[in-house]
Amino acid sequence: MPLFKGFNMPVFDIDGELVEYEPGEKILSAALRCGKIIPHYCYHPGMSIVATCRMCLVDVVDMGNGRPAPKLQTACSMDATEGMKVETLNPKVEEGRKLVNEFLLVNHPLDCPICDQSGECTLQDYAFEYGSGKSEMDYSKRVSGWRDIGSFVALERNRCIQCSRCDRFTREITGTNEFGMFNRGHELTVDTYADRPMTNKFQGNMADICPVGAITEKEFRFKRRAWKLKKNRSICTGCSTGCNVTIEHDRNEIFRLKPHENQSVNKWWLCDEGRLTYRIMNERKTRIHQPLGRVEGKLEGISWEEAYSAIAERVGDLSALPEEVLALTDTHASNEELFLLQKLLKDIFSSDNIFCPLPTWEQSESEFFINTLITTDNTPNRAGALALKIKGDAKSTKLKKAIENELKVVFVLGNPFEAEVEVQEKIKRAQLVVHLGTFHNSWSEIADVVLSGQYYSEKEGTFTNKDQRVQATEIAVKALRRTRPEWQILMDLSASLGHGNSYSSSADVFNAMTEQVKSFADLSYAEIRLFGKELNHKTKDSGMKVVKAHT
Amino acid sequence: MAEETLVLFKNIRNPKYDKSLSAYKKSGGFKSLKKVFGMKPDEVVQEVKESGIRGRGGAGFPTGLKWSFMAKGTGKPSYLVANADESEPGTCKDRELMLKDPHMFLEGLMIGCYAIGCHHGYVYVRGEYFPSIKSLNEAVDELYADGLLGLDPMGSGFNLDITIHTGAGAYICGEESALLDSLEGKRGHPRVKPPFPAVSGFNGCPTSVNNVETLACMPFILGDNGVEDFKNFGPQNNSGTHLVSLSGHVNRPGVYELRMDVNMKDIIYEFGGGIRNGKKLKGVIPGGSSSPVMTADEVDVLYNFDDLAKKGTMMGSSAMMVFDEDTDVVKLLHRITRFYAHESCGQCTPCREGTHWSRQIIRDFLNGNGSEEKLLRLNRVGGNMMGTTLCALGDAAAMPIQSFVKKFPEEFRKYYATV
Amino acid sequence: MFSKDIQTQVDKLLSHYPIRQNALIPILHLAQNENEGWLTEAWMQHVADICEVPLTHVEGVVTFYTMFRLKPPGKYHLQVCTCVPCCLVGGTELLEHTEKKLGIHAGHTTDDGIFSIEEMECIGACSFAPAVIVNEDYHEQVTPESMDKMIDELRK
Repeated sequence: MPLFKGFNMPVFDIDGELVEYEPGEKILSAALRCGKIIPHYCYHPGMSIVATCRMCLVDVVDMGNGRPAPKLQTACSMDATEGMKVETLNPKVEEGRKLVNEFLLVNHPLDCPICDQSGECTLQDYAFEYGSGKSEMDYSKRVSGWRDIGSFVALERNRCIQCSRCDRFTREITGTNEFGMFNRGHELTVDTYADRPMTNKFQGNMADICPVGAITEKEFRFKRRAWKLKKNRSICTGCSTGCNVTIEHDRNEIFRLKPHENQSVNKWWLCDEGRLTYRIMNERKTRIHQPLGRVEGKLEGISWEEAYSAIAERVGDLSALPEEVLALTDTHASNEELFLLQKLLKDIFSSDNIFCPLPTWEQSESEFFINTLITTDNTPNRAGALALKIKGDAKSTKLKKAIENELKVVFVLGNPFEAEVEVQEKIKRAQLVVHLGTFHNSWSEIADVVLSGQYYSEKEGTFTNKDQRVQATEIAVKALRRTRPEWQILMDLSASLGHGNSYSSSADVFNAMTEQVKSFADLSYAEIRLFGKELNHKTKDSGMKVVKAHT
Repeated sequence: MAEETLVLFKNIRNPKYDKSLSAYKKSGGFKSLKKVFGMKPDEVVQEVKESGIRGRGGAGFPTGLKWSFMAKGTGKPSYLVANADESEPGTCKDRELMLKDPHMFLEGLMIGCYAIGCHHGYVYVRGEYFPSIKSLNEAVDELYADGLLGLDPMGSGFNLDITIHTGAGAYICGEESALLDSLEGKRGHPRVKPPFPAVSGFNGCPTSVNNVETLACMPFILGDNGVEDFKNFGPQNNSGTHLVSLSGHVNRPGVYELRMDVNMKDIIYEFGGGIRNGKKLKGVIPGGSSSPVMTADEVDVLYNFDDLAKKGTMMGSSAMMVFDEDTDVVKLLHRITRFYAHESCGQCTPCREGTHWSRQIIRDFLNGNGSEEKLLRLNRVGGNMMGTTLCALGDAAAMPIQSFVKKFPEEFRKYYATV
Repeated sequence: MFSKDIQTQVDKLLSHYPIRQNALIPILHLAQNENEGWLTEAWMQHVADICEVPLTHVEGVVTFYTMFRLKPPGKYHLQVCTCVPCCLVGGTELLEHTEKKLGIHAGHTTDDGIFSIEEMECIGACSFAPAVIVNEDYHEQVTPESMDKMIDELRK
């Protein structure tokens, strides 16, 4: 195949610009990959091509054989070929788009002011961009009304433009087949038959792929205009899959999580349970608002300096032996936090008594990729703990042995072993219990000092997912005034205990970790920021059990 | 002049013919198949190519060429599907063949199967054709009983099965890719092309979809001197006889088998016996309801693919609908457009919305709400369906609208001129 | 759910196709005939199980094709064609006449459940218009008078 100079793949011409394509690739797919804009509704890269919305019409002025196509072609369904010349901006194409857009609006209600999709609606965008601005349709529109079709989404059928993405989603992506196309012609509806509710666990994606406001998330309905939302990249922390998300927020309140495309992790998708984790990000009632110290049996607000010096004083008095020190952490903590806690124990107490819960978990196996996104490990960083060789086992036997010692100093990060009453009872008797966390729990109840940490959405950090891919979160919202990110608390604590480290950011900690921990060697923060990167030295997770997904 | 040329109807026009297998054999049936079994499949395709036969379903695509496009060496079975979903308004010719001489068509189907290496042929009959379905099933049973179907017919070593498949009422299933979807047990939505059925058709296998009448011509074409005789029935590129379904305001409506060099005028006045009740001709829809309409002074033309194309219309499925001077053209167009609105599958935008919208506009005229502006709009909305849809139904709906508006604008104006 | 005879037909049909799904439409016809001319959710589910397709697929198919009915038709289902060729020679008037005669509109069934009327798009009897299908029988060049006679005959 003749290749143009400077290109690794064959090329064709879009509006005078050479665009690379993979053999067999369609015009639209190649164009989108290269940042070209061709309006479209029914096309979705993850699903089959139906070429029915007709919006992506382009003018193929040379099919690669010197001859033009006889009429406008849909870019989504036509193969790119060597030497092909495509025009996406000429008057013929503009006319074609205008008329398709007019047809789409014939029955689409102009209810943008009360539609949640408004602001992120492709019909709205394209009507503005390519539409004629007025309608000659002066008959009453088709009316079919609102439908409750599932636990997570609602269907406003009037707004549907019959692109059938949702139908293909339940057939090709989840395999649950709740949606279908019913009736025909002008009466065609795309929905669940006779208002039967959906059962799949990925309904939110249907709201994402719906190009208009026909399918919307119930959770988000009427809460905020889409254009007010600011967006930050992050990782879903609902389970160890580590789906890439954007956190969407306004005025420091988080409104929703949306999947962010990452072909190596979640492709375009995110499960409903993951989406709902946004709720806890706004939680204030059980939140630890500031550092607390136990004064006469009660927790009272103290300053950071008071907290640190009190801890340093007690630790000095206790002069604990390595086996008299213990750190517990859950696997919600970031790689950096785990690393710093481990380091603190080693540097100050020469102890490696750090434990986390590592129960067995199930990974679903399925012919439908999307089902593999759900795991029963509801923590985001189990693999990070394994990579750092933090101790733990399925039945916490190692920990139970360690707490047989007379404990003097215990650090608890987050909410580990929450159900293990016996462990908590033993630890309660330790001389000093320091709890670092974001929410009040049974650990803060028994702690002598509570240090107020921050939630994922408020700080930076990296997490290692079940495939041992390290991925980073961004700061989305401003944290509470008297909280600090855990990596900083651990660093400060270390310093007040006489072993100073000066990291200026989470990324700094990450880089130190790559130098000191073999598993993380050769990674750089810059490299993992966009789509993450798998560890070069993997650790085997013996707690994983592969099970068949039941649909 | 007013005489039919009997090839396909040679048995049907014989009042003593009883459509049984023995009667068909007596009339020379299955001689061609026997001859074909002695030929190589490629030779059969070549003869069909040479005969110049063009598909009788509406598009007029050369059948031999279609068969030669069949993907080979795919490791998948090939299929031949007879398109008996005759639903284009005005067309009722395949019904006659299936009902009154099913064996001729089935022999043609078997010849086609042999030519493209298909061991299981399907006949997709529209569900409403209860009598034809019964007739075909009986004929197929006869063939199995006689050993002409099944294992090793006529000692050819070519195993062949035929299944009569019933549709369930959808015009769009006459479109070959929608027909295949329907045959697979799905909604009849036309598919994105390419891939064409010759590469990926029934269940993803190479498939040829051919009209009943096209296949029924095969016993003649593959018969003695068939290719030459067939070519001589019409002008160049328009060979063979064809079945003309004549309907509307003529004295003798019916299905006539004609050469392709017969004048349309003669069809109306000689075969059809002229306009009924002594009225004058107003116009003709020449090739099924989707073909552009012709006015009375345009009908002096040879009724074949090319001559009609030169007149800016098409022969389609050879279905002539004749209407007289008293006909309300706007009402007629409303009925046609209503048909397309009803039959649009709805998957693609211009057709789903356009057929319904244009119907609403025409209705406005009938309700006395017409205007010059709406006439322009009707023409525009119709035109916007042209060439922008996934399958040809958009074009089929657009052509009558645009041609009626162009040729009978005064008829529309009558509805609002007095206001 | 199928009677023994019909189940044999179903099995025979299935053997004619490479994939069970292919036999869906013919089997739906059999199911509709078994259930007095219409389909219920239970029947659709049964056919879905036979053809190994999801129920929504069957529902999509049933609502696509005009011959499948989701409510019971009359004992005699009068399918009057009013499409272009029939309309030219009195099909519409024939339908109106039939509606008046039976006192119901197209799409409805008489109270006694004997007759139902359906307005048809082209039924492929164009050269013999206007045409009517009664259950499975074609009646051609029907006039209002012959329609009256037919209805009276059937009612007996």
